[in-house]
Amino acid sequence: MTTTLEHSAPKVTSKAGGLARHQNFGTALIGGVLVAWLAWFIARRVCDPTGSGYSDLTAIWLGIGWTVGFWIGIGAFNGPLRWIAGRDHTRADDLYYAGEGQGRARYWKYTTDHKVVGVQYIVMTMVLLGVGGTLAMAIRTNLIAPGNHFVNQQVYNGFIAVHGMLMILALIVAVAGPWANFVMPIMCGARDMAFPRLNALSFWTLVAAAGLLLTTLAVGSLDSGWVVLAPITNQVGVAMDFFALAIVVFTVSTTVAGVNTIATILTMRTKGMTLERLPIFVWGSMIAAALGLYAFPYFLLVESLQILDRTVFTSFFVATGGGTGWLQANLFWLMGHPEVYVILIPAVAALFEIASVMSRKPVFSYRTAIAGMVGLAGLSILVWAHHMFTTGWAPTLGGPFMLTTEIISIPTGVFFLVLIGTLWRGNIWMKLPTVWMFGFIANFIIAGITGIYLSDIPIDNQLHGTMFVTAHFHYVFVGSVLFGAIAALAFWFPKVTGRFLNEFQGRISFWLTFVGVQVTFLAMFLSGLKGMPRRISSYSILFEHTNLISTIGAYTIMSGMLVLLGAIITSWRHGDPSGPNPWHANSLEWMVSTPPPLENFDVLPVITEDPYTYREELVRS
Amino acid sequence: MTTTGQKKSIKSFYWTWLALTVLGVALSIWAPGHFMPRSMSNDMHLSILTIVIFSVSAAPVAAGVYAATLYVLKNFRYRGEGVPPAGADFRGNNVMITSWLLISTVLTIFLLVWGLGALAVDNGSTGRNPLVVNVTGQQWVWSFQYAGTNVKTNELYLPLNREVEFRITSDDVTHGFWIPQMGVQVDANQGVITTIHTTPSVTGTFDVRCTQFCGLNHAFMVTQGHVLSQTDFNNWLTAQPARA
Repeated sequence: MTTTLEHSAPKVTSKAGGLARHQNFGTALIGGVLVAWLAWFIARRVCDPTGSGYSDLTAIWLGIGWTVGFWIGIGAFNGPLRWIAGRDHTRADDLYYAGEGQGRARYWKYTTDHKVVGVQYIVMTMVLLGVGGTLAMAIRTNLIAPGNHFVNQQVYNGFIAVHGMLMILALIVAVAGPWANFVMPIMCGARDMAFPRLNALSFWTLVAAAGLLLTTLAVGSLDSGWVVLAPITNQVGVAMDFFALAIVVFTVSTTVAGVNTIATILTMRTKGMTLERLPIFVWGSMIAAALGLYAFPYFLLVESLQILDRTVFTSFFVATGGGTGWLQANLFWLMGHPEVYVILIPAVAALFEIASVMSRKPVFSYRTAIAGMVGLAGLSILVWAHHMFTTGWAPTLGGPFMLTTEIISIPTGVFFLVLIGTLWRGNIWMKLPTVWMFGFIANFIIAGITGIYLSDIPIDNQLHGTMFVTAHFHYVFVGSVLFGAIAALAFWFPKVTGRFLNEFQGRISFWLTFVGVQVTFLAMFLSGLKGMPRRISSYSILFEHTNLISTIGAYTIMSGMLVLLGAIITSWRHGDPSGPNPWHANSLEWMVSTPPPLENFDVLPVITEDPYTYREELVRS
Repeated sequence: MTTTGQKKSIKSFYWTWLALTVLGVALSIWAPGHFMPRSMSNDMHLSILTIVIFSVSAAPVAAGVYAATLYVLKNFRYRGEGVPPAGADFRGNNVMITSWLLISTVLTIFLLVWGLGALAVDNGSTGRNPLVVNVTGQQWVWSFQYAGTNVKTNELYLPLNREVEFRITSDDVTHGFWIPQMGVQVDANQGVITTIHTTPSVTGTFDVRCTQFCGLNHAFMVTQGHVLSQTDFNNWLTAQPARA
């Protein structure tokens, strides 16, 4: 992935970048491990009465040490320290940090170029989905037959928690990570994000958090479900500490990224790029980022208090100490429901973009689309307690929360109107992004409608805590968000690599995944209707057939994903060349060369209209 | 400007919509009763009925989206080579948007009214001399204590057609008390008593399952229950040894 521009770029002076010249992912790992060991060593002497070195407090100090050491090693503190010392970055330093003239090495460094960060997020998302997907296969293999014990019961219980949280994290960054970084600033007509160094910080902080999360697999089972609510968490060992700390670190990453996204969109737009001329994906990124800034502090709070309960014996969530688990459940779902829309909205916004470009038509009612996304985000902060209908907490609030939850189907319905309205009377170009978009439409209607059942308390009293719920949110996350994310990947892949994602392999992957999703999760709905609870490692003979079918479907999804992985890897190096504007679109990211040069534009463009008018002369060019 | 993206006959859309709606309604009426556990209480009747009602009202919506998608795929796909020419250049349709919003609002209000009505009767007490059963969850067994007696069991016995009031708590972590055949579910929380009511409507055997992840043997926190006729129940109760 070298460009002619990089070859012809003037060599930066040999001293530019300073310490950063010696820092990369390797030094970050070394720094993380060293400081983690140091912190653990001290904590063991100072605050571990058992001296075993395996207490909650030492685990937390070890995790904090890892994160701080990782930050030091990757170079996160270089800039601020130089600023304090009065030796702020020069232009040459900034160019070094942006990765100029460093070839592939810049992908392993604290690189500030938003396009490098975007590619880092693509790979990171794939890694997280890969590990989470492997766990999913272990879970489905265990459930292939009643009483099967492919993995031991305790390990299984840990897998369901780590699978859940890994996939949630992966999908939070799956669309916003790659594309709100790679293409969004170019779409705005900006040379980079508003805070390029914070952009690098958000990515590498995510890596540090992922390291902590994966550690939970190695230090004993996290057998508590992904929602990790007390009191069951009191029975979990240090895995719970690493998990909670991973979330704390993760929320730092999303907060930094969210602030950066919003600041970029509000302050970095080029001349003439009014808010109403912004591509709809930029609006989606901004709305999702704003919702994330509201939601994730609850996550930070709930896991921080959990850490305090475990390490220094506060009792925020401990009933015998005057606390309550219901407080924790409320805080968790105050985050947990908006988070679903933080995940969903960027995917939907990317699909609006794709629908317009691929049908050669303007987005159907741009303003309705924005209102739909804003409405969804706004309502999503008022629905959290529908996750708690059967807990026994505040039965009086059942009616009001049922009301807010069901109203959410109105803005959700708007998405279908906008998508189909955009396609209506277009000339639809059936390429890979379009195919995955149609998959999204088919799956999202099932996801939406099954959600309505669960919002109704008399039905929820029957279906809560069953596989019906699991199937519902897998239609949301796999059937809808993942399909949207893959459509977005296929759409912008040529801009990243200069090559098309292989059409044939991509379609094979689509059909395997699409059929696999229906088989797996329709059968899972039936398991739930028949009365199978969630999160069980072993089940009654009653649920034998539907589970076998779900497992077969899950293997089909896996094969679809492996074909896609193969397509991505081979197309990245050897795909058909695409040129700078393969879809003949009008938004700014297609107007720059491929791959886009450092700082994107030689001369910043002036915008006179929105990108949705498809004219004949543009098509012919 | 191009002249493609013309209006096309919309008849096939309506026919597909109608066919899919009929299919959806048929499925909605058949599937819940077929797949869900046998109903053994009015609450379960209500749950199943509500699922059927919601499915029937959702069927035309889903069918409409599918029919529109199929119509779009059939009529607006570009079949030529290379880049398609520009499509119809309209940027919205206020009549369409307004009617879409109105219809989804009306449907939502209908679901709400039905849901709130159902909620008002679901799991509620009739106040007519209920049998009180104290339910305790602990890792990983259920125990049932019949109020006013010294009887304590690990399988649940209930009399036919008499209201039961479950008072549920936990000795350790949170469990979820659920009777799949009766449509009642509430968590068992340590230090708190949660209450639900139901009235068994047929005799027979049912299940009690735990729906909150509660540790190692969560999957096996299952027990059976039996609905007996009033006299059988009284005979059973008096025959039990006290196990206070």
